[in-house]
Amino acid sequence: MREKKRTTLNPALAATLPPTNVDDLLVSVKYYVDEEYAHIRIKDDKVCADCPHRPCLDFCPAGVFTQDRTGKILVGYQACLECGSCRIGCPYQNVDWNLPRGGYGVAYKFG
Amino acid sequence: MANKLTFDAIVVGGGPAGTSAAITMARAGLQTILIERGRFAGAKNFFGGVLYTHALDAVLPDWQSRGPALERPVTDTGYWLLSPDSVLRFTQKSERFKKVPAESYTALRANFDPWFAQQAVDLGVLVITKTTVTGFLRDEKGRVIGVTTDRPDGDVYAPVVIIAEGVNNLLTQQLGLAKSDLPPRFVALSVKEYLGLPEKEVEARFGLSGPDEGVAIDVFGDATLGLPGTGFIYTDRAGISIGCGLLLEQLVINNLKPYEILARFKNHPIIKPYLEGAERLEYGAHLIPETGYDRMPTLYTDGVMVAGDAAGMVDALHREGTNLAMIAGKIAGETAVEAHKQRNFSAEFLKEYRRRLQDSFVLKDLKQYRRMTDFLDSTPHFMETYVNFANEAAYRYFTAHGMAKRDMEKEIIRLLTRRRSFLGVAVDMIKLLRGMRG
Repeated sequence: MREKKRTTLNPALAATLPPTNVDDLLVSVKYYVDEEYAHIRIKDDKVCADCPHRPCLDFCPAGVFTQDRTGKILVGYQACLECGSCRIGCPYQNVDWNLPRGGYGVAYKFG
Repeated sequence: MANKLTFDAIVVGGGPAGTSAAITMARAGLQTILIERGRFAGAKNFFGGVLYTHALDAVLPDWQSRGPALERPVTDTGYWLLSPDSVLRFTQKSERFKKVPAESYTALRANFDPWFAQQAVDLGVLVITKTTVTGFLRDEKGRVIGVTTDRPDGDVYAPVVIIAEGVNNLLTQQLGLAKSDLPPRFVALSVKEYLGLPEKEVEARFGLSGPDEGVAIDVFGDATLGLPGTGFIYTDRAGISIGCGLLLEQLVINNLKPYEILARFKNHPIIKPYLEGAERLEYGAHLIPETGYDRMPTLYTDGVMVAGDAAGMVDALHREGTNLAMIAGKIAGETAVEAHKQRNFSAEFLKEYRRRLQDSFVLKDLKQYRRMTDFLDSTPHFMETYVNFANEAAYRYFTAHGMAKRDMEKEIIRLLTRRRSFLGVAVDMIKLLRGMRG
């Protein structure tokens, strides 16, 4: 999927979204972080460098994707909620997403 | 290699589909292993939804005496149409819902799924957790005869494998049963918060007389900025589950943060009073495969059957999924039992699984609503246009302005035609009807 469609949302409506720090939400989530294996990886940094809209910075519900000062995409896999959105939502299929090793990753307390 | 680890059947995934399959096979005497990647069955599971007792009855007839981990029966349910400043409610509350057991219950999956998996253990299933299935073992003809895992010496053999791996169906894709990855146009990303609130407070706010009453509400319109998707509110025993799901492609093309949409929904003047003072106990996210009948994976091959979210078994219109998964898991389990009797695990024989699903509501409903997600995808304005119109029209209807009612009716028509032409309305209604009638 190249980004064939673009925004359908009224900008005035988008302006009503309250800026929210995802870290405030993630403190409520229990994780067993695998320090030895990153289950998410960018396949090719050059593809991200040429990506015009960088939707992963927004649609990831855990804010796993951020960018550094040079614009390079960084992957904080430790916060991943394992929904799989980045695997299918990246317009260039540039995210290599695998299941964490058994027992690692998110462990919901309530679900 | 030492002794091969061999079973009659392997189940991948300890959610409703996998556990139902395992219970069904164990009760028929098959040596069954269930492999779950989480620390416990349910550790990875997250939903905004309800569990249906018709499915529990089918899988585990004596479930009521086994102390099921459920929150509240659903006795008040329906739709709220939310505009930026109003809500129109289409809900039903009925004494008929107040029977034991009720038709459906709200639940928390990190409580329910482990309880359900424990029933499988009690019936003789070997449940192995913290173990990710990575691939398949095949015989010389390429037929599946087991799975590989990320455990040392973790190969497990069985003549039949039931895949209930969930929405991220990597194994189903590995087998080529799913032809492609999930299309973001037909997958919803849902985020939810579980908010703690004293039991009495939950009951006071939602007009419930006690713990034997509960609400399950879908919220359309402003909950999702008018974009294709729904908000939802469920009462738990001592808490509220609130969330929203949007088609993933809408988040992608609009550069939207799902948790900001949820924060906005929670802050809505109509919604906020219900949540006042409630404490966030958990946040989470999950994909919902709204891929529909026409894009379902192939459900079987030699030695393999696929059930639940992995196979796209979700009826988005009625927010059903757990019951489709449980019934499909049961039918897959029954088919595996038959396969053992006949000693035939070929695709030709396992085709019976699909045939029996076709006779059940699972494939009948999925077929009927095959156009539902296409409808949402092709009419992205639908929620905003009609939800806001309905609220405006209701406001005119329920207030007196010293205006002749005939003029009020004309004004209501004008409110609609200002938003959408008559032809546009007609096209939208035909599309909606087709989405619902199949």
